[in-house]
Amino acid sequence: MKKCLLVLALGIALTGAVFAGGGKEGASGTELYVFISQPEYADSIRALITEYKKVVPDVTINYETTQADYPALLKTKLNSGDLPDIFTSTAGAEIDLYTEYSLNLADQPIAKAMIPAVADGFKSMDTGAGPYGFAIKGNFFGILYNKDIFAKAGIAEFPQTLDALEAACEKIAALGIKPFTSGFGEWWVWKHAAMNFFGTATNDPIALTKKFENGQAKVSDYPRLYNDFFRFVDLVKKYGDDKLLETTLDREVAAFGNGQAAMTVGQGAWIEEDVLKINPNLKIGFDGYPISNNPADCKVVTGADQAMRVSNKSKHQKELLDFVNWWYTSDYGKGWFANVAKVVPPISAGVVPNLEVPKQGAAHVAQEGSAPLSIIYSTDAFHQVFGELMQAYVGGSATKDQTCAAIERQWISIH
Amino acid sequence: MKKQKVELLESVFYPLPALLFVGVMIYIPFVLSGYYSFTEWNGIARAPKFIGLANFKAIFTGGADFLRTLLFTFKYTVLFMLFTNIAALALAIALVKKFRLANTLRGLFFIPYIMSMTIVGFIWRFIFSSGFDTLLANTNLGIFRWSWLGTPNLAFVSVTIVGVWQSLGFYIVLYIAGLEAIPQDIIEASVVDGASGFLRLRSVILPLLAPSISTCMFMSLTNSLKVFDIILALTRGGPAGSTYSVTLGIYRDAFQNNRYGLGSAESLVFFIIVLILTQVVMRVFKSEN
Repeated sequence: MKKCLLVLALGIALTGAVFAGGGKEGASGTELYVFISQPEYADSIRALITEYKKVVPDVTINYETTQADYPALLKTKLNSGDLPDIFTSTAGAEIDLYTEYSLNLADQPIAKAMIPAVADGFKSMDTGAGPYGFAIKGNFFGILYNKDIFAKAGIAEFPQTLDALEAACEKIAALGIKPFTSGFGEWWVWKHAAMNFFGTATNDPIALTKKFENGQAKVSDYPRLYNDFFRFVDLVKKYGDDKLLETTLDREVAAFGNGQAAMTVGQGAWIEEDVLKINPNLKIGFDGYPISNNPADCKVVTGADQAMRVSNKSKHQKELLDFVNWWYTSDYGKGWFANVAKVVPPISAGVVPNLEVPKQGAAHVAQEGSAPLSIIYSTDAFHQVFGELMQAYVGGSATKDQTCAAIERQWISIH
Repeated sequence: MKKQKVELLESVFYPLPALLFVGVMIYIPFVLSGYYSFTEWNGIARAPKFIGLANFKAIFTGGADFLRTLLFTFKYTVLFMLFTNIAALALAIALVKKFRLANTLRGLFFIPYIMSMTIVGFIWRFIFSSGFDTLLANTNLGIFRWSWLGTPNLAFVSVTIVGVWQSLGFYIVLYIAGLEAIPQDIIEASVVDGASGFLRLRSVILPLLAPSISTCMFMSLTNSLKVFDIILALTRGGPAGSTYSVTLGIYRDAFQNNRYGLGSAESLVFFIIVLILTQVVMRVFKSEN
């Protein structure tokens, strides 16, 4: 009899576990469901939610985050009807992919508070409508360099042209220090490096992306890509890590933080704190990529590559919009970016955090302007393949022309 | 009569929950993926678009990387089956001998098997990168200078080594069980008849171990065809896409490249290949037994 009861209880527990879910309606007040990537900001977002609970006590925000496999998990939720109230996609190409499910924020206060460069990345590539999202952070992409090593090598100013970069590499290598650490083992390092060249290969990166996707463009038609980008990659290979394709983010950060390498490739504001954990006294410099022999082309890139999408299917539309507007426009929210999350604020009225990359990045943008965040116009699916093709190139298993042909082919088939 | 009725009811009702779960978790998704394989669907849009056999055509005309991943999986499977079974058998024969550390060693060989594949992958990634750096600094041996995860051919070797290392314990246990089931008197009789060590192994022990060998071969076959997590943790398919197994390739197409239909078609084709392969292997071992 006892056994029977036990089996029955277990059975009920199992069935309960399977058919649970749903039930988002709390007994008291409204519950919002936030399911976003970027777990590195989990603590800061929890602080934000705690603060919001004080302001609006009868709205409860359930926050869930993951990095690994976020897109696959999100798709599962979409298809099972468990759509989160706030979810993440990348900016640019993925904006149109999810417009069916997300709200156009154009007439909301949050859109007016956003930096225009950030908002542009969240607009539909097809229609120009939007923004269909907002950002946790703005960002700076560029080369972080070790000022002490540059001083020791007798280089007064960060090289602004490819020729100057090559000369600088020679001088640094003569000291017995690696000029570059590249992170070429990561697929996304490639898109971050390539966008500097891609964004300036033409005046209209969106149109160029479309041309590649339709098979109307060739890499060799664009000297900025065919000559300058590959020259840069060859330089990094020649003056870079010993185990080039094994160098992942952690190893790149370690090599730069330990002073074994003078410059990073494919990184930006997000690695500064990790680098400082290795060596708090490291003198970090930050500049754009030398992409040609015109010093004026060397600019940092700014913008946001991750979009937080607001569901248009939510039963609590008003509460949801109140929350996101509060995030961008309240005093706490405005200060949250720099003080709590310690990120580059995506809002015009933000305070810059006390870190070198955001400070120097903001100064560069104020002086020289910024280059476009052109990576976002292609999907990450393409970028992963692009990274693999470039790995084959630096690994020596494909020639430059084979690589270019493969890139053109894949761009047509995956987008 | 009444008892028979009860028995009938029992045999209908007891399997029902299991059937329900297996149906919901395995058979319904299987049929659905059959449907999706004829469609173009990105996994997000509400309605998949019917495109007939275009996905299958893409697989076989090289429009997808499927054939390359298939070749990788076959290479891995052959090496994995060979090395795991030989090593496991050799170790099992050593470990059934009565010596002081035998039990401890059995435990040590089994530990990797109970660890999660992902953790094993991360541990080895650390060994191959930072571990080998330190070893290079201390010994200056050339093999530590090689980029074990950063060169396509070496990455394949690394994946195979780690795969074999991780699952060795499981096969050792199966072989030990088989060896211990061999009646001691047969062995003793062969000793009396003057069979030396190698002859005894070849003519007495191995034939009697045939059921264990076919079990282990079969299990290593299916396990290596399914290889996924170890590669995801160790190389993520890299460098330059050289270590994609079929399963990882399907995952990439369906969930990263947003081509759910193509991924479904690939998994169907792979299912049929695995079905044929396992049937053939089973026949071969049955006839030998």
